[in-house]
Amino acid sequence: MPKLTISDLEKLRETAKASIFLRNGGPFRAKITVHMGTCGLAAGARDIMDAFLRLLNEKQIADVILTTSGCAGMCSREPMATIELPGQAPIKYVDLTPEKVNVLFESHVLGGKPVAEFALGLGSERTF
Amino acid sequence: MATPIYRAHLMVCGGTSCASENSFGLKKLLEQEIRRRGLEREIAIVTTGCFGFCEACPLILVKPDDIFYTRLRAEDIPYLVEEHFLKGRPVPRLMYHPPEDGRNIARLSDINFFRKQILIAMRNRGIIDPERIEDYIARDGYKALVKALTEMKPEEIIEEIKRSGLRGRGGAGFPTGLKWEYVRAAEGQPKYVVCNGDEGDPGAYMDRSLVEGDPHSILEGMIIGAYAIGASQGFVYIRNEYPLAYHRITKAIEQAREYGLLGEKILGTDFSFDVRVVRGAGAFVCGEETSLIASIEGRLPEPRPRPPYPAQSGLWGKPTCINNVETWANVPVIINRGADWFASIGTELSKGTKVFSVVGKVKTTGLVEVPMGTPLGEIIFDICGGIIKDRKFKAVQIGGPSGGCIPASLLNLPVDYEKLTEAGSMMGSGGMVVMDERSCMVDIAHFFLTFTRDESCGKCSPCREGIPRLLEILTRIREGRAELTDLTLLEDLALMVKESSLCGLGKTAPNPVISTLRYFCEEYEAHIKYKRCPAGVCSHLVSAPCHHTCPIGTEASSYIAFIAHGRFQEAYEVNRLANPLPSVCGRVCHHPCEIFCRAAESDEPISIRALKRFVADWARSNGQKKTIRPVEKKYEKVAIVGSGPAGLMAGWVLAKKGYDVTIFEAEDIPGGMLAWAIPDYRLPKDVLQVEIDDIKALGVNIKTGIRIGKDLSLEDLQKQGFKAIFIATGASKPTRLNIPGEDLPGVIDPIQFLKSVNLKKRAEIGQKVVVVGGGNTAIDAARTAWRLGAQVTILYRRTKNEMPAIRDEIEEALAEGIRMEFLAAPVAAIPVNGRLGKIRAQRMTLMGFDSSGRPRPVPIPGSEFEIEADTLIPAIGQEPDLTVIEGFKGLSLNRDKTFQVDPETKATGIPGIFAGGDAVSGPATVLEAMRDGQIAAESIHRYLRGMSLAREYKPTEPLYEVPPVELPPEEFLELSRPAMPKLSINERRGNFKEVERGFTAEMAVREARRCLRCDLETIRLKRSKS
Repeated sequence: MPKLTISDLEKLRETAKASIFLRNGGPFRAKITVHMGTCGLAAGARDIMDAFLRLLNEKQIADVILTTSGCAGMCSREPMATIELPGQAPIKYVDLTPEKVNVLFESHVLGGKPVAEFALGLGSERTF
Repeated sequence: MATPIYRAHLMVCGGTSCASENSFGLKKLLEQEIRRRGLEREIAIVTTGCFGFCEACPLILVKPDDIFYTRLRAEDIPYLVEEHFLKGRPVPRLMYHPPEDGRNIARLSDINFFRKQILIAMRNRGIIDPERIEDYIARDGYKALVKALTEMKPEEIIEEIKRSGLRGRGGAGFPTGLKWEYVRAAEGQPKYVVCNGDEGDPGAYMDRSLVEGDPHSILEGMIIGAYAIGASQGFVYIRNEYPLAYHRITKAIEQAREYGLLGEKILGTDFSFDVRVVRGAGAFVCGEETSLIASIEGRLPEPRPRPPYPAQSGLWGKPTCINNVETWANVPVIINRGADWFASIGTELSKGTKVFSVVGKVKTTGLVEVPMGTPLGEIIFDICGGIIKDRKFKAVQIGGPSGGCIPASLLNLPVDYEKLTEAGSMMGSGGMVVMDERSCMVDIAHFFLTFTRDESCGKCSPCREGIPRLLEILTRIREGRAELTDLTLLEDLALMVKESSLCGLGKTAPNPVISTLRYFCEEYEAHIKYKRCPAGVCSHLVSAPCHHTCPIGTEASSYIAFIAHGRFQEAYEVNRLANPLPSVCGRVCHHPCEIFCRAAESDEPISIRALKRFVADWARSNGQKKTIRPVEKKYEKVAIVGSGPAGLMAGWVLAKKGYDVTIFEAEDIPGGMLAWAIPDYRLPKDVLQVEIDDIKALGVNIKTGIRIGKDLSLEDLQKQGFKAIFIATGASKPTRLNIPGEDLPGVIDPIQFLKSVNLKKRAEIGQKVVVVGGGNTAIDAARTAWRLGAQVTILYRRTKNEMPAIRDEIEEALAEGIRMEFLAAPVAAIPVNGRLGKIRAQRMTLMGFDSSGRPRPVPIPGSEFEIEADTLIPAIGQEPDLTVIEGFKGLSLNRDKTFQVDPETKATGIPGIFAGGDAVSGPATVLEAMRDGQIAAESIHRYLRGMSLAREYKPTEPLYEVPPVELPPEEFLELSRPAMPKLSINERRGNFKEVERGFTAEMAVREARRCLRCDLETIRLKRSKS
């Protein structure tokens, strides 16, 4: 690493901020919960998680919480994920595929517009 | 360059405390498991600095959830990874459980220890990897440096620091900005800055934690300081025994150089500065700045007189600015956020926050950063959870060996530089060693002085010669060989060393002596005059603490030893040596022996009271009566007024000596409070009767139904030829609540209530009983009312922890279903149809501490509530009934209507009349009353034999030399304090059967084998002397 100028330092700070954003306690743009109980995993929840994580990395988005929870109690509709934006009701999406994840991510997470056709309904259990 | 984005960061504590609990090993395991589960791209594992929560190491904080896992073991890791990180289910069992509270706390931010802290110096705690400069930069690191270099002139920086009010965090509290100004103004080049990381106080480790956890914050502070004063070279002085701190600061310097934040032309400006790390060999005196300078220069670390101060002539004779680690860590924040912001935190003269390392007898030890001026009690109780095992707080040593102790009466003290100095202590670097009732203050002073003696460099004679002389005096005191005049000598010498020593080490070394003398003079006097160490520590005086702290001097260590050998007969004889009421004491004693039992240090105390009861019951059921025949009849008649524990004890001791003793008892049965206040379920009356009969068999005459002061006066007794009188009439008159409605029908006197139940097995109470108070009388009244079928509520104005009643009694009351409304006090008794119908009460909150160190209850305005009640039993205290002195003049009373006596002899102002027990002390315990009876009896004997009343005091020594038991290590590990067998709750309702069933012989032997036999050391010393 060459010696920094002041503007280099500020640039470095921006990248570094993204890498530790999760540790600062917010504010977060969105919270995505992938249901990863045995049923979810069997139905392909792992691929759903991978798809979300890939998108976060591709788009370099640091201020989204991506977390897991267990079985949501509707095993027939797995894989499932819940997306929650600050100040809005959480929305549960069912029968997900990596392709649907792309749509959800663009529309709901980044665009703020829920995707009604993938949604089960409003509301969510608490994660803990 | 793309930054990898993870969904969680696991912050693994990498401070020295956690590292010593294998946190680096855990991190490796965690990495393996995360890989095994294919989560390595989702979950980042980060080593971070010390969380300061060293009580519960090793630790992992999960971000962003803030879930906090503590005390992790290697075997927990696979489960944790599977459950939380794979399946998304946090694991409650691995979360933090506050001591003595079953519920776990999931989030770090919900733990009291963290909730009340404000972090400036430790702002990056648990958030950054201290070995990655990028993490520091992400948290606005080096932003203050940019601001300082580009927007501020050196003078403006100095002005900013001056205005912030920042003072040296190393101890002396010198204004940092002023020091910088002196160095900037001083003649001479080059100039130097130094970071003093020579943290040597026992129990202090905040500087280590800061260097380990956030080394760049210190470097940034130093670079800004160097720019402000015009220095080109800096030194970080670190103890060699801090290898992790050395490693981290060295790495941080390399990174900063690589990035151009140190070295030539920093960040492309004209300012150049570099830092070197110097390792110190661990001499305490190096914390003193002139010694530290000598050490950096490679000379012997000895202080030199100041002035000149290092600001004029420091390293190699050049102007040098020396600041402590924590001071430097504060600098970037002040520059970033401004002096006004910083100065808004803290007190008038002490600004900002201070990091304290709180260690010793607190529930949660660790590093605490709080605003200056935070009350001491808040740090110890609210943040650190109070004292281990809810024992009594005694004192806190602040500032290490250079500081002083602060007693319980000053728990409200706002902690800042001025207030600590006024109280005889000092900020020092911020070490707090908390001590409880088991710490001896003479021993503590001795400990710290041993440290400073060893660390004195020897250059100046007051320190070199004075400290060892102080230690000699302290040793004499600890060993019971001192005279009272030694205290004056000790104080004079301490002040001399303080005033005439050359450097801070010697000037502050006597502080532990001066402050303990100031606040605990009585404890020094107890050692010297009475050969007592109240904390049960000083081995030359104490023998076993159970023996030493027993109010009547029962040789508990010996009877426990006999039980361990199965020699019950001898155990009983030991028990009876000083005690006519072993079956009673084995049931109702408040057992101070168990508070001071050394087995409690690492385990639970020995069940000493239960063992006493076991041998007493064994002897009774085997018909073993040990009636000691009077030695030699001396014929003088002695009258004792009152047949409670004090009177019975005095009568027994005097009868053994051959006196003709008559006890006058106002009630129809003897025993006083033992007979009519303590309920049957704690003390069955047949048990008491056997022991009273035994006292009578010795020749003690007990006349019941005669109330002295009414039926006969004290003068009548004198006329009847009683040559000495002992007044032991107790304290049975209830203290009034002073609330409206207190005299309504339905409000009853607790003692009359207990007396009625004890003597007549019935009492007029209703269905809804409210008892007010937290002492033994309150609990006895509540449990008695419950047995009579009532619904019982106790109102107590503090919390369970502060209740003065015996702990087991409180727990049993709760188990029986007695409701306790804590933090509530009655304000009025309200009539319904002419009798008590309701009680209006108000909620209290604890705010600050009273002069004895107990939390002070304060009413909450508007919090009044009502409870339905048909019976109110106010049991908040008792005072002596003074009928006894009617028709008799000349006895002096205290303001609380207790009798005035000489505490050493129990003699009143009138020759031949003595007094003791609750009538003198106010409501106390059975054993304290018995002790008074014992002392009064000895005094009466000396009085009647024409001897001086002055007592002779000796160190505690066992009479018996019982050999230790063979205890294989595997058996020792298996032993644990047994639970007392008890009646089930169902078996208790509606009757007064004794609740505790006593140990079986097998249980008793096993428990006695667990005893550590503290008396053996005294036996060995005794043998080596003879």
